Amino acid sequence: MTETPQFKDQFDLARIKLSTDYEGLESVKKLITVVPVKKPNAQEFVRVHPSPEMRLQTTTLILKDEGETYLVEKDLWPELLAETAPVCLYTAINRQGVLFLWCVKMPIKTNKQNWTKSTLDAIGAAQKGWIRMQANMSGGYYDIYKASGNLPEPEWPELTFQEIIRIAFRDRFIDSLDHPALKQLRGEV
Amino acid sequence: MQELKSQFKQIWFVDFEFSVKPGEFPVPICMVAEEYYSRKRLSLWSDQLKACEQAPFDTGKDSLFVAYYSIAEFSCFLQLGWSLPENVIDLFVEFRNQTNGLTLPLGNSLLGALSYFGVDSMEALEKEQMRDLAIRGGPWTAEEKISLLKYCAKDVEALRKLIIRFSKKIHTLSALNRGRYMKAASVIECNGVPIDGEMFKKFSLNWSYLQENIIKEIDAEYGIFDGKTFKTDRWKKWLIEQKISWPELPSGTLDMREETFREMSKKDKKIAPIYELRATLAQMRLSDLAVGQDGRNRASLSTFRSKTGRNQPSSKSFIFGPAVWLRGLIKPKEGFGIAYIDWTQQEVGIAAALSNDERMKSAYSSGDCYLTFAKQAGAVPWNATKASHPHIREQFKACVLAVQYGMGQDSLALRLGQPVSKARELLRLHQEVYKKFWSWSDAALNFYLSEGHIKTPYGWTLHLPRLSYNKVNPRSVRNFPIQATGAELLRLACCYCVENGIRVCAPVHDALLIEAKLEDLDDAVLTTQNAMSVAGEKILEGFKLRTDVKIFRYPERYMDERGSVMWETMVGLLDKPNPPTAYVPIPPMEQYLAV
Repeated sequence: MTETPQFKDQFDLARIKLSTDYEGLESVKKLITVVPVKKPNAQEFVRVHPSPEMRLQTTTLILKDEGETYLVEKDLWPELLAETAPVCLYTAINRQGVLFLWCVKMPIKTNKQNWTKSTLDAIGAAQKGWIRMQANMSGGYYDIYKASGNLPEPEWPELTFQEIIRIAFRDRFIDSLDHPALKQLRGEV
Repeated sequence: MQELKSQFKQIWFVDFEFSVKPGEFPVPICMVAEEYYSRKRLSLWSDQLKACEQAPFDTGKDSLFVAYYSIAEFSCFLQLGWSLPENVIDLFVEFRNQTNGLTLPLGNSLLGALSYFGVDSMEALEKEQMRDLAIRGGPWTAEEKISLLKYCAKDVEALRKLIIRFSKKIHTLSALNRGRYMKAASVIECNGVPIDGEMFKKFSLNWSYLQENIIKEIDAEYGIFDGKTFKTDRWKKWLIEQKISWPELPSGTLDMREETFREMSKKDKKIAPIYELRATLAQMRLSDLAVGQDGRNRASLSTFRSKTGRNQPSSKSFIFGPAVWLRGLIKPKEGFGIAYIDWTQQEVGIAAALSNDERMKSAYSSGDCYLTFAKQAGAVPWNATKASHPHIREQFKACVLAVQYGMGQDSLALRLGQPVSKARELLRLHQEVYKKFWSWSDAALNFYLSEGHIKTPYGWTLHLPRLSYNKVNPRSVRNFPIQATGAELLRLACCYCVENGIRVCAPVHDALLIEAKLEDLDDAVLTTQNAMSVAGEKILEGFKLRTDVKIFRYPERYMDERGSVMWETMVGLLDKPNPPTAYVPIPPMEQYLAV
């Protein structure tokens, strides 16, 4: 066998080498402009932020047909008892890195308790590992599945909870009884 | 010009006029060379050129050679037995690099470049007249010779104007690195691909007969053709019988586009012979294949023509262009062998290295990135093998390829023969498993859109057409760094091989076809593999890419399995006891001028 030849360059090619670390080079940062308020669907694995500062007990108005959730000004709660529901909003993220607020209705009706209880169990589990939950219609609760693979920890965006709330409810904050969402409910629109 | 001036004592602008027949070596007619500083001009006619043992100007390390698409000039150098210049800047390549991705009103020709920079140039009509004069061939009158030399000199003057216009934008070392490849490419073009001359002649003489009868032979098992006509309704019936789902157009009719047929032929081997047959009948004229009298296929590689900087040789004249079965014509001469050496899963390796995604790197290094992807996604157990989970591996393979080719969920579903939801799920898994890669890919797109360009490690650039943002295809942009880096790998490997005396016959996408005497073949293969490996490591920060080798020793011929059925059928037709009666000779090859 002949000797392996040396592959010589006219000059050190490192002198012309450019970086392809576009993340390091780019002057663009992804802005989070939408934070959905929802519960996770049956196919997505999710995590919940474990910090108590990243959750909020409040009252919302949910327009089911439109799939829209509105945050309600505290002063209006007494007047909107019939239309609104107490909820807890948890900061959550899915495997694709989509940040969302997991909206969980607090139990009022006793016949719904198992749904809520299993949801809270899921939230507890999601603070420690990746889970997904799927409705078990015959049992009346959610089945919880824990990811068996060694999935990496979620990368939480650098946003405060205040900022997340502001983005999530940017156009959906009810601060007066004349709000269009309430008018719609009253049949005035 | 300051940077160039500081580096080179002489800068020579050079242009040749020459004639060439398809597949043959060029015949130099005249040359004009002019030095930048002294303005010394050399105007030499063919007899004077032949009298020179070497180029009649300095081509050593202190001088710079400047031309426009210099492969043409270097082909003449090689014919004249001159050594190739040490330092080359090719203004065609640099113009392409400065405008790649933009729409150019007058294209990439020298006239187009001059016009782009607002430089006065000769009229296209005048250029055409001069080309015709050269094509006509000699002998030329004294007046005609003067006209041709003047024409040649105008191109040289244009080079001077051009380099002044965009020398500020040229990064000298990067340009020299690209010029280096133009030298290697000229040697490769001259080498050409060895063709089985006897078989080529047989095919050529019987082409009409073969075209008519190949339908009967191939179609006997399918029953799709009526004479020479492909009947779509019969194809539909056959697909139903074979239980093959086929994409439809919005109108509800079968999608019979060439690319759809090609995709489907990759998916199902039964479709491949019909695809090859359609390609043969629709596109091929054997007389277009550029084969010289010495039985070698020589076609212009059209270097740096594609956006990714890859070669873009003519699909008609290059042996690797037409229908795949025809590659069976590639055959080493007696006493020689050829080897086809390609990078294994090159795109995955490049994507992993550029994005520095450790999981993707580990999948590539495992040797079976498709199965490892399935394991990483949790779709198969860690002890799964290709044999234990063949179907799942195929699905994950299709997904990896879909990401490489920038396919969406619909195209992937088509490739898989599965519902769109399945394709969507696979693509989602890819994004989950290779998060770092996707983050890098997002950043590449953002960088391009915000900065207006994106570059490869050695500086090949894709520019953003500022006035037509809506024409940007995000998938192409994401794919650009991977494909264009692949092109850079191939170029560097070509340089290493040619500079180390390897006889490279052709670069083919991510592969090299080389040739050597039988006793030297193993060493040549080893050297080529080393060259490809070193090129990979230099460009990809030390990441190792693997290569595969297929060796064909005389009297074996090259064969691509996708075309083997068609090849065997064609050869079978030629061997039939009743030879055809209607011979149709190939039309004489027309002489043309390449400038």
